[in-house]
Amino acid sequence: MRVVIAEDNALLREGLVLLLRSSGHEVAGVAATGPEILPLLVEQRPDAAVLDVRMPPGFRDEGLRAALEARVQLPGLPVLVLSQYVEETYAAELLGGGARGVGYLLKDRVGRVDEFLDALGRVAEGGTALDPEVVTELMSRRRRDDPLATLTPREREVLQLMAEGHDNATIANSLVITERSVHKHIGNVFTKLELPPSDSGHRRVRAVLAYLNA
Amino acid sequence: MDEAVRRAGRATRHLAVGFGLGCACYVLLGIVLVGLAATALVVGAGMLPETVMTVRRFAGFERRRVAARTGVPVPDSYPPLTGPLAERLRNATTDPSTYRDLRWVVAQLVYGLLLFYIALIVWVPALLVDAVWCGLCRRRPVALPVLDFLADLECVWARALLTPSDSAGLARRVEELAETRAGAVAAHGAELRRIERDLHDGAQARLVSLSMRIGLAKRAYDADPVAARALLDEAQDQAEEALAELRHVVRGIHPPVLTDRGLDGAVRALAASSGLDVEVVTAEGDTDGPRAPAAVEAAAYFAVAEALTNAAKHSGAERATVTLDRTPRLLRVRVRDEGRGGAEAALGRGAGALGAGPEHPLGTGLFGIRRRVAALDGTVRVTSPDGGPTEIEVELPCAW
Repeated sequence: MRVVIAEDNALLREGLVLLLRSSGHEVAGVAATGPEILPLLVEQRPDAAVLDVRMPPGFRDEGLRAALEARVQLPGLPVLVLSQYVEETYAAELLGGGARGVGYLLKDRVGRVDEFLDALGRVAEGGTALDPEVVTELMSRRRRDDPLATLTPREREVLQLMAEGHDNATIANSLVITERSVHKHIGNVFTKLELPPSDSGHRRVRAVLAYLNA
Repeated sequence: MDEAVRRAGRATRHLAVGFGLGCACYVLLGIVLVGLAATALVVGAGMLPETVMTVRRFAGFERRRVAARTGVPVPDSYPPLTGPLAERLRNATTDPSTYRDLRWVVAQLVYGLLLFYIALIVWVPALLVDAVWCGLCRRRPVALPVLDFLADLECVWARALLTPSDSAGLARRVEELAETRAGAVAAHGAELRRIERDLHDGAQARLVSLSMRIGLAKRAYDADPVAARALLDEAQDQAEEALAELRHVVRGIHPPVLTDRGLDGAVRALAASSGLDVEVVTAEGDTDGPRAPAAVEAAAYFAVAEALTNAAKHSGAERATVTLDRTPRLLRVRVRDEGRGGAEAALGRGAGALGAGPEHPLGTGLFGIRRRVAALDGTVRVTSPDGGPTEIEVELPCAW
């Protein structure tokens, strides 16, 4: 996989390059400032882009803006946005154009190398990777007559993992249950939340996120 | 002559109201004495600030009356009587304005009655004298203007008694500034100590333990790879927890979204993540203007966050409105919900109930908000009658 990295901190940039190269990916280019990102993406047309939110020269949200712009200019380009902190609004903006090939993760997650590479792979294949912290925040919102309150703890866990963008096999693995029971739980969740039943894949993620974001 | 009679009539009405006010002052004086006695017996300490407020209302009435007759406003200068009881008591009893008002109450009692009696006595002879003087001698009335003079005299005395001295106003301002400055310094100090403690007990300790585990893993590496792996797993957990804590500390100092998106965007982010349906209203073109100082933005942000949290938790409202407003001299933030109200009582309990205890570090809770805002010489106003709506308005002075 050819990946473009945008990260201003040299230490983290080198770390990411090392991590991707050592796991068999090609680093097609690195950007150290916000304005460099788009031209680099247009020139390289990578399989995926890993972008930091806060970049020079303004040290505000240049990386995020570049990601949004890239999704408009290069439709279908998978973008994984990394940030020192997560903000629901940013997630909503990123998912605004659909949940296909979008990732939004805390930088901390890079430390879990396998999980990070798994998320990057998912995004590159058109899936979604949403940071658990964002999903937790979304799920902890107070609503009137909250249907989320009717979910069993296990169903909540399943919903959380679904919203993060995992498929049934991964959900089954991380909860140490069979895929069949994952399937059953998902059915229950969709019934309780009154969502139309949906197969696995990005349509399901989008339905769940649309529900949580409402 | 007719004109003179009309003027005398107006003056007499003024004096009559003054007479009524004098009588009311008599009652008021009684209430003040009862209030003092009750405070001395401790049981009725809450009565004294209320009494002082009543005295202020009376004085305010007289100020308006004098201003209406003379056309020149009578300035006032009162410290606010808010906060916990002890503070209200202290402000009520130590402020010179209280004694100035009381002096006026006594004086009004005496001259209000006296001047009206004189006016009553003067009327009949004055009418007779001027009837002769004007009617027969075709001169300007001389006796009726005496009534006018009496009313003016009342105004002059009241003004003299009720006008705070210039130095009193300045002294008040200096006192206020000294207080908010001391508050700012204290808040800053407390904030630094909190950050230091958070870092020391949290991230720092975790990094030490993380380093230790890596060290142990290195020692175990050859002899016992399984144990080394377990240690490395633990080390990674520690690192992640340290990061999470650092994020938390940073958010408490200056929310990163404020840096990224400015106050406008940050408030919209707050609104989006609130469980309520929040509408954010900003004046046109505000978003492109120069930004307020970081401390002002942060105070406004935390105030909105706190207000929205309270609204979501306690008000029962489904909707809230946040208004951001800039004037050339200040930044105004207003959070309004259509909930059940009654927050005033809860919030009025002040430091005791919402104080900066261990569970309420400075900068959170309404007390923290007041401190933050006061430190910047701003004001917090909460209106929340039973049945709602609740409105919290924060004004922060700043130049653009």
